[in-house]
Amino acid sequence: MTNIFWFVLPLAVSISLVYAASRHESWPRIWGHAIRLCLTILGVLLLSTLVLLLINTQI
Amino acid sequence: MSRPPVPLKNPAKAALLAWLVPGLGHFYQGRTGKGILYAVCIIGLYTLGLVLGEGKVVFWTWTNPLADSERFRLSFLSQAPVGLPAILAVVQSILKWYGEQPIFWGFLAEPSQIAINGLQPKLGKIVEIAWVYTAVAGLLNVLAIYDAYDGPAHIDDELEEESESATAASPASEKNAPLGGVKVEGRA
Repeated sequence: MTNIFWFVLPLAVSISLVYAASRHESWPRIWGHAIRLCLTILGVLLLSTLVLLLINTQI
Repeated sequence: MSRPPVPLKNPAKAALLAWLVPGLGHFYQGRTGKGILYAVCIIGLYTLGLVLGEGKVVFWTWTNPLADSERFRLSFLSQAPVGLPAILAVVQSILKWYGEQPIFWGFLAEPSQIAINGLQPKLGKIVEIAWVYTAVAGLLNVLAIYDAYDGPAHIDDELEEESESATAASPASEKNAPLGGVKVEGRA
């Protein structure tokens, strides 16, 4: 069965690209902003998942 | 060398086109790269959501939210910024209201209650993901519409930085080209 967590990737990539494109007009700035934002989103999600796993008493 | 200006042309027309089809307003303005980016990201996410939800996560019903909050589609408000499918969904609901048959084989028409109830047992969490994909795609198109209408948010910073670098490179030309020939058309 496909792991449901993979579904976050298209969402994070799309949000990052569209948000960055709405902030800047030059492509180097768009790519830079999008990569930073995507990594931030994925990092926050990963961190919150790890915290939830740590405090989950069922594990 | 200065880069070309941001060609907003007719901002209201561009915003309307961007609402109808994500990226179309930017194609109209000649901002092809951005148009492709918006189209791929937003239409791609929206289509993926529709496919995952078997076409049953985007529809509209004419319901009084105070009288029947269960059937009222508040989520449609976040899906509606992608205009063309939203128009079709509204047309389908109007046809249903008048007792007519849906068009386009019932695409984006309100599914039967049995079909809606059957989605969750059949697809599980995928239904929620499908709904989130379509809703987020709609909300992202709000950013694209605003970009088509008013240009990118940080364009002034970009222009200022470009102007400073141009001034530093050639101080003698400061009087003649303070902004390096860059401007945002259609702005005050």
